Amino acid sequence: MANAVELRNITKYFPSSNVLANNDVTLSIAEGEVHALVGENGAGKTTLMNIFYGLHQPDSGEILVNGQPVEIHHPDDAIKLGIGMVHQHFKLVPSFTIAENIMLGIEPNQYGMLKKKEEAELVRQLANDFGLPVDPYARIRDLPVGMQQRVEILKALQREAKILILDEPTAVLTPQEVKELLAVVRNLAQRGRTIIFITHKLVEVKDVADRLSVMRGGKMIGTRSVAETSIPDMARMMVGRSVLLELDKKPATPGQVVFKADNITVTDASGLPAVRHISFSVREGEILGIAGVSGNGQTELVEAISGMRPVEGGTFTFVDKDITRRSVGERRKQGMAHIPEDRIKIGLNLETNLDENLVVNRYKLPEFNRLGFMILSAMKRFASFAVKQFSIAAAQPGEMIATLSGGTCRRWCWRVSCLASRSLSLPTSQRAVWMWAALSLCIGRWWMCGTGRRRCC
Amino acid sequence: MDNYHRQQRVNTFLVPLLAVISGLVVAAVLIIFTDNSPFAAFEELFKAGFGCSSLNRCAFFTTLERATPLMLTGLSAVVAFRSGMFSIGQEGQFALGALTAAWLGFALDLPPVVHAIVIMLAAMVIGGIYGWIPGVLKVKLNINEVITTIVMNEIAVLFLVYMVNFPLRADRGTTAYSPVIDETAKLMIFMPGSKWGMGFVIAVAAVLAVYFYLWRSAPGYEQRMAGQSSLFALFGGIRNDRAAIRGMFISGALAGLAGAIEVIGVHYRINQDFAPGLGFTGLSVAILGQVHPFGVFLVAILFAGVGLGAQLGLQINLGIPRELGGTVIALMILFVAAEKFYTDGISGLRERWAHFRGQKTAVELAMEEKK
Repeated sequence: MANAVELRNITKYFPSSNVLANNDVTLSIAEGEVHALVGENGAGKTTLMNIFYGLHQPDSGEILVNGQPVEIHHPDDAIKLGIGMVHQHFKLVPSFTIAENIMLGIEPNQYGMLKKKEEAELVRQLANDFGLPVDPYARIRDLPVGMQQRVEILKALQREAKILILDEPTAVLTPQEVKELLAVVRNLAQRGRTIIFITHKLVEVKDVADRLSVMRGGKMIGTRSVAETSIPDMARMMVGRSVLLELDKKPATPGQVVFKADNITVTDASGLPAVRHISFSVREGEILGIAGVSGNGQTELVEAISGMRPVEGGTFTFVDKDITRRSVGERRKQGMAHIPEDRIKIGLNLETNLDENLVVNRYKLPEFNRLGFMILSAMKRFASFAVKQFSIAAAQPGEMIATLSGGTCRRWCWRVSCLASRSLSLPTSQRAVWMWAALSLCIGRWWMCGTGRRRCC
Repeated sequence: MDNYHRQQRVNTFLVPLLAVISGLVVAAVLIIFTDNSPFAAFEELFKAGFGCSSLNRCAFFTTLERATPLMLTGLSAVVAFRSGMFSIGQEGQFALGALTAAWLGFALDLPPVVHAIVIMLAAMVIGGIYGWIPGVLKVKLNINEVITTIVMNEIAVLFLVYMVNFPLRADRGTTAYSPVIDETAKLMIFMPGSKWGMGFVIAVAAVLAVYFYLWRSAPGYEQRMAGQSSLFALFGGIRNDRAAIRGMFISGALAGLAGAIEVIGVHYRINQDFAPGLGFTGLSVAILGQVHPFGVFLVAILFAGVGLGAQLGLQINLGIPRELGGTVIALMILFVAAEKFYTDGISGLRERWAHFRGQKTAVELAMEEKK
């Protein structure tokens, strides 16, 4: 089988953030295969694909499409070469119809007048050809996420994409929608399309891909046949060491209720209700999971629990105290910690250094604060203590957070949150494998030693 | 410190420096159009703006006098920006501070020193409250602070015009002036020939105070964290809303103080066109000064010197319109806005230089570090 795509020795360095996103990466993709590109967050998958799609320029390396060396300076060049990309965040016009979105920029027209009927007919035909039925007249804003994604795929196919890049397509889908998508992907491959499927969900790789390539820390670790590689092997390639995928823990022996949410209602940023009349309680020594596809109110609920977002109605009780109107700091003082979903955006301030990041939840303690003035030496001491305690080699006190790698940042954030806590409100999307493993170990152990003991890991 | 850090530090100084040089180069082209030698013109400008022939005829002292209000309005912008509020209300707060000083300067009857201190405190409170209002509007009602501060500038300036023309009008001349303030209210002057004096000392003290507030105190820490990453601050238990309102109050107080010092240290009374534009120039000072108090200190002196040099050196000695000074300053700000152009250019040059000398480039260094 001929190689549809060859990326040779691609290197990309971002001077502004001091990140070597791709380090001498070579990748070949055969025609008509579903090729999974896997790796943890920050491994360089998306950067590599953005280079291939013309969104970034590589510092060195070459790109071959169908055996011909090509220069891709702009997505237009990529589209002309038959490359289509479906981004993680859809790029659709919500107020337009499906047909208008798919034909955007290539609308059929006569004497400068749009031909709406023909447009809809073309879209209907395209959709039927690929077995992806859609209603051309439906408006994007009324559609569920899975359907919007289908529109994105059709948009690429309408532009005659032979090579389709799907960037974490399943992250936003319900299990049912994921199933449908995987079927669509297989179907497209059978029709001779080449699919590059970016993900870090290994089960999906097993389900849909022919081969997989693993990236780690900007480097290509290797390409394997999916049929001959087990999931634990894949995980090992991703993380670089064996991963504990199952946690050996004893059955829970929960105690009394420590946290109670009663009839909670929260609105989102635009003032619409995101959480409606939710009640639940958590007992001592218990791990409570809240499931749901992102965008269904989990973020708002977690922000409300941690005190970052005011509630519209209902009450929170924490260790027999009503904390509904308490501030983030007061809740923290009582022993509640929060590891945010987006640990980089919420959990860190990238514009300042490690020391100042570390003290954000404890700068009011007397050891850091004398008559309202910060004690810089104590902050520095604490930073070096934390560096040692968590054995994060790359970090030095006084270092700008932005120079640390994404993974290191995340580790910082949640480990520091762990330091003094009684109950944890956990990230909702625990995606990267090792993060998952390490975190479940952390919670597991923390759970085993029970509440009251102020340490974890 | 690794390579990356060194580069970041260097950029902090190099970007404004290159902006200043670029501004001067473009100004040189403009000077050529006026049939003058740019070198002679810059020499004149420098002599008139920064020169010092004798203690009694020292242009630099006048530059320091003129830098005083710029320093304070610049600091005002720094404090607001660092709390995440893009306040451009310095002009209005300055006007109200000046008005307060002009009124209390003759209305109160207090001993020397005490009189001046009371005036400055009052101007700070008035300016602070005038900054506090848009802060509260932003936090409680989410009204954009840019719009409210612009509108409030207008209100404050028109209020000053009304007060000078009617209640505070001192005589029946064609232009309205407020009465001259009492001797007790005036700030001490160090050297005859300019109004360089106590006001400058207060401004320098304010530079240090703002630095200590923002980088050494807990409330300043809260304010900077809220300004740089509001979600992070919220997550850490910082009350963003309070930090923003506090930042706006301090910002307003500093601009109000600038207005008061301009009255009791320089003009001793106000007219209806009192010192227009000093608030807005403060914004530029803050931006060219990298939103840092020490940067503000240097840039305020630079701006004042260029302005004075253009007025005395260019206009009077060479017949070049003094607006050129304003043009130079505007060009410098324009070039600072092009920061990315410089940082990319600098790192590109660095790569080429390293290549030329057979050293490793940043990409190669980064690749090695990963190994």
